[in-house]
Amino acid sequence: MIGWLLALPALGVMGLAFLWPLAMLFRISLNRTTETGAMEVAVTGESYTRLLGDEFTWELIGNTLGLSGTSAAIAVAMALPVALMIRAASPRWRGLLALLAIAPLLVSGTARLVGWMAILGDQGMINVVLRWVGLTDAPIRMINNWTGVRVGLMESLMPYAVLVLLAGLGRLDSRLEEAAATLGANRFRTFIRVTLPLAAPALLAAWLLTLVLGISAFITPRLMGGGRVFVLATEIYNLALESVDWPAAAAMAMLLLGGLILLMLLRGCVGWLQGKRA
Amino acid sequence: MSRSSPHLRLEQLVRHYAGAAAPAVDRISLDLPRGALLALLGPSGCGKTTTLRMIAGLEKPESGRILVGGRDVTALPPHKRHMGVVFQSYALFPHMTSVGNVAFGLEMQGVARAERGPRALAALELVGLSGFAQRKPRQLSGGQQQRVALARALAIEPDLLLLDEPLSALDAKLREGVRDEIRALQQRLGTTAVFVTHDQTEALAMADLVAVMNAGKVEQLAAPEEIFERPATRFVATFVGRAARIQGRLEAGGVLRTEGGAALRTHSSLAAGPVEAFLRPHRVRLLAPGEAAPTGMANVLDATLARRVYTGEIVALEANTPAGVITAELHAGTDGLWRELQPGSPMRLAFRDTDLLVFPAP
Amino acid sequence: MLGVAGLTATAWPAAAQSGAQVTLMTYSGIFQEQYTAGVIEPFQAASGHRVQYFAPGTSAQMLGTLRAQKADPQVDVVIMDTTTAALACAEGLVEKITPAEMPVLNQIDAQARTAGGGCGPGVTFDHLVMIYDTKAINPAPTRFMDMANPALRGRVSVSAPPNIQGLVLTAILAHANGGDWRNLRNAIPGLKEIAANAQTFDPKPDGATMILNDQIAFATGWNARSQLYSLQSQGRIGVVLPQEGTAFQINTINIVAGSRNAAAARAFMAHALSAEAQKAFTERLFYGPTNTTAQISPEARARTAQSAEFNARVIPLDWVEMQRVRENWNQRWRREVITAQQ
Repeated sequence: MIGWLLALPALGVMGLAFLWPLAMLFRISLNRTTETGAMEVAVTGESYTRLLGDEFTWELIGNTLGLSGTSAAIAVAMALPVALMIRAASPRWRGLLALLAIAPLLVSGTARLVGWMAILGDQGMINVVLRWVGLTDAPIRMINNWTGVRVGLMESLMPYAVLVLLAGLGRLDSRLEEAAATLGANRFRTFIRVTLPLAAPALLAAWLLTLVLGISAFITPRLMGGGRVFVLATEIYNLALESVDWPAAAAMAMLLLGGLILLMLLRGCVGWLQGKRA
Repeated sequence: MSRSSPHLRLEQLVRHYAGAAAPAVDRISLDLPRGALLALLGPSGCGKTTTLRMIAGLEKPESGRILVGGRDVTALPPHKRHMGVVFQSYALFPHMTSVGNVAFGLEMQGVARAERGPRALAALELVGLSGFAQRKPRQLSGGQQQRVALARALAIEPDLLLLDEPLSALDAKLREGVRDEIRALQQRLGTTAVFVTHDQTEALAMADLVAVMNAGKVEQLAAPEEIFERPATRFVATFVGRAARIQGRLEAGGVLRTEGGAALRTHSSLAAGPVEAFLRPHRVRLLAPGEAAPTGMANVLDATLARRVYTGEIVALEANTPAGVITAELHAGTDGLWRELQPGSPMRLAFRDTDLLVFPAP
Repeated sequence: MLGVAGLTATAWPAAAQSGAQVTLMTYSGIFQEQYTAGVIEPFQAASGHRVQYFAPGTSAQMLGTLRAQKADPQVDVVIMDTTTAALACAEGLVEKITPAEMPVLNQIDAQARTAGGGCGPGVTFDHLVMIYDTKAINPAPTRFMDMANPALRGRVSVSAPPNIQGLVLTAILAHANGGDWRNLRNAIPGLKEIAANAQTFDPKPDGATMILNDQIAFATGWNARSQLYSLQSQGRIGVVLPQEGTAFQINTINIVAGSRNAAAARAFMAHALSAEAQKAFTERLFYGPTNTTAQISPEARARTAQSAEFNARVIPLDWVEMQRVRENWNQRWRREVITAQQ
């Protein structure tokens, strides 16, 4: 009983900051958009049928899953060595290294864009080096397109991947790696045969979390996509603030939310199954 | 390699841990003949596990050398050392079956695929687990896991078998059985082995040689009887086996005079001065009223019974004497004299001069 | 709804007294600075009313505020883009207004009147221009299609629909190639050529800043802001009204339906549309005046599309019609223009 009382403020905040706007959003998604673009109060599923019947929506869903799926996978793959290194460090360094790994979270989206511009831009570091070496004579576009967004998203997801992996790998007994070594396995075989299989649940958890974050990512596709990258989050923004079609924007937001909830449930199921197996 | 040269030789091994003032392992040297079982015995933090890990290659010594069969392995990484290690927590691979765990080592040693299965199963049979080959570690009891770990370590026919507190995770009833099994297997296979323990009974029961360690140093390296009967240092005398402590001054002729006024004969050749002597409870004899001390028992003390602790086979009598509190342990069944005694009863205790283990006072 | 709004307006005669407070919702930044100095402050001094400035962001966000406050409006006057204002008008969020109620409307340009669609009229004219880096481009460009020069690969920023600049550019090119701004087919080939040079279709933070950062050499922009950037950059940014033509972006001024200070709000609106306020704001920020009687200095007039030289280039664009075609244009851009070079 007292537990419930203590949870009340948090529940209240959640209700006000999350559920109420969500209910409003759902209500708006049921309104009608007239021929001239004005919003008419109604209770209709027109926006949903219009969106689901539009092949562009499905393209957006494909784009979104493709982008976040690959970015999340690369982020997790790159986070794994980092997490293993942090785990292997002495306790004195571990905290500092973990802090460094998640430090990018403290940098704003705009600051990141400036940084990536200096690296990936037409006059950026990579292009300058490529030209100087003589490999290219015209700049290769690595920003303001899918490549840029993928790189930017991967970078912004990596800290989360590191955090999830650190939590997951914490339960991985380092004696197992030592045991493999004493049985004659070199570092590579130990990694492939012991570390990797045992890290699989953590890798999956990290991938699912970063996938969800990637799907809902807005800033990176918006800032680094150069108007060439169309995903659900940017389209919701366009519908709401450029086309001013609120019912469609709200309906798409509800679809996205439904998809994310489905993914979280999936993640919960995976966790539950792993819990049962262990 | 000559037959007389040791199979394992440690030379002046040193290992510090960052931030620690004293070295964890401080210039340890020892030799172990082929086929022998060495116990590294000591309290926690004495450096015994660090020594074992350095032998396995899991930690690097700062200086010193490790030789196996005359070959210097100090610089070799663990996967090139060909040593079977049984970890305290067993460290079985949870994603592999029992036979998979054993076959993993064979695979890493380059054993042909066709040979691995039969050899892994044979190793499991050796430890009496042939019926559990397809079980995952979590489906096995602690004792079974322990035996899989042993089978895994032995299957690769290691140059050296290393066991880190192999029995500590087992419950007391299992421990003795597994202890004897390990010893029997090791002797049957002729494997040279080192095991770490803080349990003196385990060390004495299993080992051919015991190295008693304290604060990073080997206090004594000897056969179990020698360790128990003739401890080289005061630390060994107190750490291995129980003993009553008698304080006093050693006088000419090896007579120990206690503060309580007793004069005890000893076999000590120490110079005169303050000393401490230790007396094992099972060495002390209880004399019947009027009974003369048996031949050779030069020391007889008048005493008063303080406490009687009966544990079935053994009864311990704690007595106040002029030499301090001395405990006598008697076989409860064969020696009936104690039954008459109540706390406060007068009694007489006898022991040999050689039973007193005398060391200079610290 | 509108009837109710009208009633409410007359039901608050007290608001007409000196000393009422009017809340104006419109753009922030430079617009706010110049509008406050050129229009609001003189109004406050003359009328005794106070004007509270509220800038939630874009026109769409202003519309959002109006929708959210429909039951209890906190804003009295709103200046926003005509496309969004048309939605607000259709949804009954702003009042209809006639010259009978507000005589100054008779002085307002016909196109600006039409832009209001029965609700408030246009209060500023702006138009699409091309901006370029005068350091990098010589001689000065004259046409939008100069952005298609193959030497400019990666050096151009074009704003794609649904952004209004993209819609307007499309309409201008369609108009230039056949006379009908609705005919998207005539615009696509030229757009593809320009798109092949595009560094970005969504300049961040805006085209002028990207030019100043040496990231691009060409961009589209709105005239008023571009003129100011040009002055501030001491001519580094060049502003061109291209030969293909231009089209107006119009901001309309509206009384919010249900405003509690309707009388003062109308007084402010009348002032904002007056010749002197229009002159003051045009000379400060180069938005074209919608009041035809405003006497603009020749220097300022040269920087707007009202100069005789440029007036002929303004194509007739119907924003109601645009609302109908824009979704199709969005899709065509995404499928054919943006992907043109990748």
